[in-house]
Amino acid sequence: MQPIEIDWDRCNGCGLCLLACPVDVFRMSDANKAVPEFASDCHVCHQCEDDCPTGAIHVAHTITSSRKKSIYDQPGLELNFVDWSAQSG
Amino acid sequence: MPWPDIEIIDADVLVLGGGFAGSWAALRAAEFADKVVLVDKAYVSRSGASAISGGITTCPMDGDDLQSWAEEFISRGSYMCNQDWTWQLLEGQRERVQDYVNWGVPISRNPDGTIRRFASRGMINVRGMQYKPKVAIKELRSRIAARGVSIVDRVCITELLTIDGQWPTTAGICGAVGFHVHTGRFIVFRAKRTILATGMISMKGTHGVDNDTGDGVAMAYRAGARLIDMEFTFGGTFSVLMKNMHFPSYNVAVAQGARLINSRGERFMTQYDPQRLERSELSCVVAAFAKEILDGRGPIYVDLRHVNETYWTDILLLNRGNNVLLSDRIPNPRETPLLIEPTWGLWAAGRAGLQIDLKCRASIPGLLAAGSTAKNDATGTHASAGAPTAFCYVSGWTAGETAGRESRTCDLPDIDRATIDALAERTFAALQRAPNANSADALHDRLTAMEASLINGLVLNDGRLRAMIATVEDVLADMNDTKALNLHDLVKLHEVAAVGECARLVYATALDRTESREQFYREDHPEVDDDNWFCWHGTRRTPEGMTFERIPIPDKPGWLKRPERLSGLGPIAAIMTGRPEELQLH
Repeated sequence: MQPIEIDWDRCNGCGLCLLACPVDVFRMSDANKAVPEFASDCHVCHQCEDDCPTGAIHVAHTITSSRKKSIYDQPGLELNFVDWSAQSG
Repeated sequence: MPWPDIEIIDADVLVLGGGFAGSWAALRAAEFADKVVLVDKAYVSRSGASAISGGITTCPMDGDDLQSWAEEFISRGSYMCNQDWTWQLLEGQRERVQDYVNWGVPISRNPDGTIRRFASRGMINVRGMQYKPKVAIKELRSRIAARGVSIVDRVCITELLTIDGQWPTTAGICGAVGFHVHTGRFIVFRAKRTILATGMISMKGTHGVDNDTGDGVAMAYRAGARLIDMEFTFGGTFSVLMKNMHFPSYNVAVAQGARLINSRGERFMTQYDPQRLERSELSCVVAAFAKEILDGRGPIYVDLRHVNETYWTDILLLNRGNNVLLSDRIPNPRETPLLIEPTWGLWAAGRAGLQIDLKCRASIPGLLAAGSTAKNDATGTHASAGAPTAFCYVSGWTAGETAGRESRTCDLPDIDRATIDALAERTFAALQRAPNANSADALHDRLTAMEASLINGLVLNDGRLRAMIATVEDVLADMNDTKALNLHDLVKLHEVAAVGECARLVYATALDRTESREQFYREDHPEVDDDNWFCWHGTRRTPEGMTFERIPIPDKPGWLKRPERLSGLGPIAAIMTGRPEELQLH
């Protein structure tokens, strides 16, 4: 799943997202628009989104790295998920 | 050295890594040296863990009784500290906090305008504050630039240069080599003094700080620098909500009243650490989490229904903008507890790293270290909320001053062309290889898969450690025939080498330690063994291979005396074997 969405109508080609990304996801296209060329390396730190002056970037909250494994998805655990909305606080 | 085909950048002081430690080092070094060069794999002020950290740091101020703070750091650190460093940290940090105030860095305040201070996690006397790290680090970058420091962004350093052309070296370090990650330009940095500040060791996909791959620690190890307490690298925090979303900061949340509850709605930490509860040692909270799950009381939820109102206002003011807690992607956290889990794996935060002295000098000439690349001797085995960042500032400042001063009394070394050519060839070798089934990503996947199990880092034993070492050695062997498809891929392949080398030496050092202590738990050696292991544990590469040392912790006049020897189960052993009452002994 693609974690980064860029609205090219809003992107002004300033390049701040290229600086902001610690894992070097972005490149600039020939049309001077930011492209998340290495999006699969995104570690969801949101710095590009924060630094974008035009609000053109949206980063998903969901961790998309295929390396990230939830402890709760490991087999053999007896888990009892609670529906808190059914309970009063 | 007229080599027109190779770019050589000379420096009095070369700083590798542009997070808090490296930035403070460069700022301070520039007061003493003319030519300071700061290099980062990413962009200085947006790289590593600094800008995206939780924003808590230790906050000593004029009028505080620092004796009680020092005693708390030293006792929580199991007396495995250099107590002179503890004082240097507290006194230095008082100045650094004042710098932030003077620079106008946003800091959480009380209604009367004073800095709002709170008990740091795991602490009773020591106080921390919350500030906006992105602003602090950006301010540092502009001050460094204004001082004339030459900032070199997007250069991946691949090896330290040694004076004698030997790895390991006894002669010393005289710079580093690397390549620009976009242009592929090879650069030789020739330096009188080199400061390593490349941050923590973490496997990609584990902690959300994927460019901190232990590059500096791995290079220093290859060059023969002594590393300390590498088995205490294991760490982490509660960082994942609802199985796949980032939880912004556990430390901030529990400082403001967040609770952890199990599937029965019980605040289970009352069973493990009734005094400090969720603010206990992170390793104890994580072990308690694991124990609750293994005993069928999982999953675990974070309950934010009772936090102080300042928690919600500070999120808006100080944290990074797009916070999942304020989004519509999760149930309303003011009404509903949220599924939470920790990450646990290679994550040192100062408990392990290069051995440094009070001046931040490493064990080989010409090399210094600061921040999470160094072993934080001020707080020993304990890394409380706030202390790791405080150590970044103060050790950075100190390393910068030492390197700057020392650079005035030495000359730039000569470097040997054949050595440089060999390093250049090795740096780019993977681009020339034939493709095979391996890839940099697949190699990272194999390393990270070991950390998918909480138990692999928390419950160690001889067999598990040997299996993990074998896995790493397989990955490192496969790396040697893996092709880099492009420069971006080449960076990731060098990161496999770094994090793999670090993992191998962490696991090997863990195998050498035949006891349990603090967050380190050997299932096959569950008891604390003070007779053999109240010491610093050194790991060093010598011509004979990986060598371990036990370095006595001195008992200096004026230092706080350790009241008693420890015995019995280590704290994680006490939790995991269902005897939490014994946890109180430590």
